[in-house]
Amino acid sequence: MIRLENVTKIYGTETVAVRDASFDIPKSQFVFLVGPSGSGKSTLLRLINRQEQPERGDVWVAGRNINEMPASRVPHLRRSMGNVFQDYKLLLNKTVFENVAFALEVIGKPRHVISRQVPIVLDLVGLADKQDRFPNQLSGGEQQRVSIARAFVNRPLILLADEPTGNLDPTTSEGIMGLLDEINQTGTTVVMATHDHRVVNAMRRRVIQLDRGVIVRDQERGVYE
Amino acid sequence: MFSRIAYALRETWESFRRNLTLTAAAVLTSAVSLLLVGSTFLIQRAFENLLVQWRGDVEMIVFVRSDASAEQIALVDQVLRASPTIIDVDKLRYLNKTESYEEAKRIFAGDPVTLGLLTPETIPTQFKVVPLSDDPTLVRSLSDQYRTLPGVEAVALAEDEFEVISTLSNFIRVVTLITSLVLLLVAVGLIWNTIRTAMFARRREIEVMKLVGATNWFIRIPFMLEGLLQGLIGGVVSCGGLWVLNSAWTSGVTSFKPGTGISSLVVPDSYLTSVMFILLAIGAVVGAVGSAIAATRFLDV
Repeated sequence: MIRLENVTKIYGTETVAVRDASFDIPKSQFVFLVGPSGSGKSTLLRLINRQEQPERGDVWVAGRNINEMPASRVPHLRRSMGNVFQDYKLLLNKTVFENVAFALEVIGKPRHVISRQVPIVLDLVGLADKQDRFPNQLSGGEQQRVSIARAFVNRPLILLADEPTGNLDPTTSEGIMGLLDEINQTGTTVVMATHDHRVVNAMRRRVIQLDRGVIVRDQERGVYE
Repeated sequence: MFSRIAYALRETWESFRRNLTLTAAAVLTSAVSLLLVGSTFLIQRAFENLLVQWRGDVEMIVFVRSDASAEQIALVDQVLRASPTIIDVDKLRYLNKTESYEEAKRIFAGDPVTLGLLTPETIPTQFKVVPLSDDPTLVRSLSDQYRTLPGVEAVALAEDEFEVISTLSNFIRVVTLITSLVLLLVAVGLIWNTIRTAMFARRREIEVMKLVGATNWFIRIPFMLEGLLQGLIGGVVSCGGLWVLNSAWTSGVTSFKPGTGISSLVVPDSYLTSVMFILLAIGAVVGAVGSAIAATRFLDV
């Protein structure tokens, strides 16, 4: 589903964010990208959704080399991916329902699809009763659930999560991880960047460890260390 | 498709409301610059009227000193009639002091000071000359000849009057054109800035839209519509202003006595209408250009 071949990403002239990274993530896998801040986890995610382009190497998503893809195709690539962030990136002037609907609205989905899909996904993340609240009226964990609902409402092939539990307490994090696991069970490939030891150790999934832009470990059913 | 159009219109309106002050500034600037563009068109057209009206009837006026003797006047008349191939002798007319004073009263109706300097005794009399020839150089060479005749005070050529008017109209054209071009650029800049601000205010939305796979055009169109609308509204305002100005001028001009030329400085309604359409079109282009630059340049927020 996702394949990197000798990918190197350099910011500016000498800041090497990722050096010669290669891995292959099959469909429906759950993968943790771990490592300290600045080790290149986020850059890897940004390479996969083509917010960044590598200086060397190729990134393949669903059988396509996305670096050779014309810019006009990038929106369609992104429609096959959901993104979840540490800071949720919710629109504060929109309700829970509107935030999730927004993701469908801006890719031109008709109204009847929106009004059918949004309640289903809000039910999945456990926020069916809070769809008319605004983000400020929700807890951090609830906001992250909204953001996951928004990422998943279009049934993407891939879910990219960048430190989704970074702002949350352990109990809330557990709930979020349960949700991501559930989404993974539906066949969605999940790639999650994190430096949260507990969730990695509790989940026992594939772990790709980075250190200063280099992959130093790639282990099935791994722990954080 | 319908939902996309509805989305674009809703977003445009929202953004319009949110940035009311900046929007008002952009709209007003484009309105003022377009008003100037429109005025340029009208002034040009009005001056053309004046020139066209006189061109069909080229005239030379030979002014004779008020103290000239009857013999001197007779000599001038004789010399003028000596060139029947150049001068239309049948249309040659002599205005005596009374007639000349009557004419002057009309010409200087709006200028009592100048009129006060003239009396029926001191006013020059005049021969009104209609040339047969269309060749202005021929008429001019004749005028040089008439100037040397005894008793002749001056010879005025309509051509010289035209030159004054066309120099004046050229000057006005250049000044208004440059000013309105500068103002149009300012309008583009202001619309650009308004759109940029609107996009900056909504950078979170734009970021999310890009991440969930909205196309650049989908993101851009509400902003471009907003700019287009600002330019168009500016155009509508300028049309209103132009109409008011033109109406005031057209009705004000009737208080000028005929013969001064001012009363011919009016434009037909059909011309005003086409100028208004031009203004709307320029307004739309200004808005589209300003917002297109902004929307392309600042999409990577």
